Amino acid sequence: MPYLADLETSGIPTVLIDLAEENEKVKHDALIYGIPELRFVSASRRLPGPEDVDNIIGSIVEGLTRPLTSKEKKKGHWAPEQPRIIFEGTLDDAQDFYQQTEKIPGIFNAPFSMYTDGLPIIVPTEDKVKEMLTGTSHKPDELITVQSDIEMRSPDSVHPGVTRKRGDVVRFMPMYRTATVEQVAVNAVMAGCKPEYFPVVLAIAESGGGTGDGRGGGGAFLVSGPIYKEIGMNVSYGRLSIGNPPNKTIGRVGSLMWRNLGGYKETVSTIMTYGNPITNGGFLLAEYAEGLPPGWKGLNEEMGFKKNESIIMTVGPGEWGIGQEHMPGVYRSLQKSGHGAIARFLNVKGLPGPHNYIDFITDGIWRTMEGGFTLVLVPDMAKDMYDYGFKSKEAIYEYIWKKSFEPVKDYRMRGRPDYRTNGWMSIEKTSGKHWKELSDDYMVPAGGDDPFGSFCIIVCDGQETASERFSGGHGQAYSIDAWR
Amino acid sequence: MAKKEAFKCLNPVGTQEPVDIYPLAPRLDTLDGKTIHLSICGEPDITIPLEKRLKGDYPNINWTLKKSYGTYPIRLSEEERKTTDGVILGVCW
Repeated sequence: MPYLADLETSGIPTVLIDLAEENEKVKHDALIYGIPELRFVSASRRLPGPEDVDNIIGSIVEGLTRPLTSKEKKKGHWAPEQPRIIFEGTLDDAQDFYQQTEKIPGIFNAPFSMYTDGLPIIVPTEDKVKEMLTGTSHKPDELITVQSDIEMRSPDSVHPGVTRKRGDVVRFMPMYRTATVEQVAVNAVMAGCKPEYFPVVLAIAESGGGTGDGRGGGGAFLVSGPIYKEIGMNVSYGRLSIGNPPNKTIGRVGSLMWRNLGGYKETVSTIMTYGNPITNGGFLLAEYAEGLPPGWKGLNEEMGFKKNESIIMTVGPGEWGIGQEHMPGVYRSLQKSGHGAIARFLNVKGLPGPHNYIDFITDGIWRTMEGGFTLVLVPDMAKDMYDYGFKSKEAIYEYIWKKSFEPVKDYRMRGRPDYRTNGWMSIEKTSGKHWKELSDDYMVPAGGDDPFGSFCIIVCDGQETASERFSGGHGQAYSIDAWR
Repeated sequence: MAKKEAFKCLNPVGTQEPVDIYPLAPRLDTLDGKTIHLSICGEPDITIPLEKRLKGDYPNINWTLKKSYGTYPIRLSEEERKTTDGVILGVCW
């Protein structure tokens, strides 16, 4: 949309083709960029292309030639009212106020919360927000900005990586809004956070608050560094379960930032497709660095920070990993005595470990989904892999990545590369050649463009020898300490 | 019955910066002889037949094209803009 606004304001007439259910989103974006009267024509998701073109081609041409109406010629100014105090009354009435809903036609008039994620909240009174602000040295009226220069990695061949500079104002999507430290504190109170959690919340805000490009879903985050212990995050049994206030409330705050700071309103300000069962309600997990084998770096060190620095890293757990699964006891049997299913799979029956568990869990993992994943290991499993021969996390990333190679002719059958390779017009990164120059038998990685970007391992506590996997490798990291 | 205490409650909504509203660019009297740019991103099912029809139905237009499978259009350079009379962009923006 900024491109269209730039063209229109520099005198080049435009017509946008959207898809019919995106009209409200187009109108929103056009208003934000100062061209609310933008001309657009709606295509169909259902009609065959030539029929669709029959329907819209006249309107497209007319959009460039029909003289402007007086409304389309108007200049103006849009400044929505944004009071700091939004409600005054009893706590009961305030709860009702924040839990207001509106009916949205695009979702069959189902109610949609105006200020919450759909759940009740802690009412953000002045006193509660003031108390939250004691969790940081940053001033309440300070804008959320990037705290250090960051090279943003490109997720695919289509979108180039960009550099975000220290001091750049963070935009919360989909409405391109900004926020102050106090506005983040309001959302942190609503989520149920305590003041000591607030630096983590502010680091999440610096990352964009889980709003992504407007379809962020509230985001998902890994925490690394000593802060997990300071604020009592559960890194052990039940770490992805209920009952631990920091894991639950900090995890929830991204959803509120998406709704309130970013202005997410389904089918109106963005179209989310269908949501994500993994991040619905929040996703926050902390690393137990004390359980790392010797020489394995913590996530903070992997991301260029010091061992004693606390960070968050964004992750994208789109789907849980597929591939092999097992009962925890089957793993113990494998390593203790070479007994059980995994031992049969690895053909090491009767031989005590260490054995290469990575070979077992990655078998078939790319059959129906390409890309990387994050693997959560308990200390004993990480130690087994160390004893087997993986003296660093990087050695495992490289090993898994190399296992993912397959011929181009197979890779071309997958669901996402049409998009990720920009219609096969981009450069294949391992060869440096154009995709169309590669022979059918040329081997390319189904596990993403590079081992570090595609894969990630963290260690969490527990003696139950099970692992967890979820999509995506290393994301972007942000300092929590910068927000203390 | 004691009156319940009233609290001032804060706004959780982010700051929407004020926006200057601009008129649209003047439209074209005719497309004949003009340079119209097709900025294509996404939905090849629609954009491939659209490109074909536009070029077939409007042979007097000088068509230019930039194509991406992604969700962001490839922008015209400043030089290209000087010779472009109009832009049709779709299906992502």
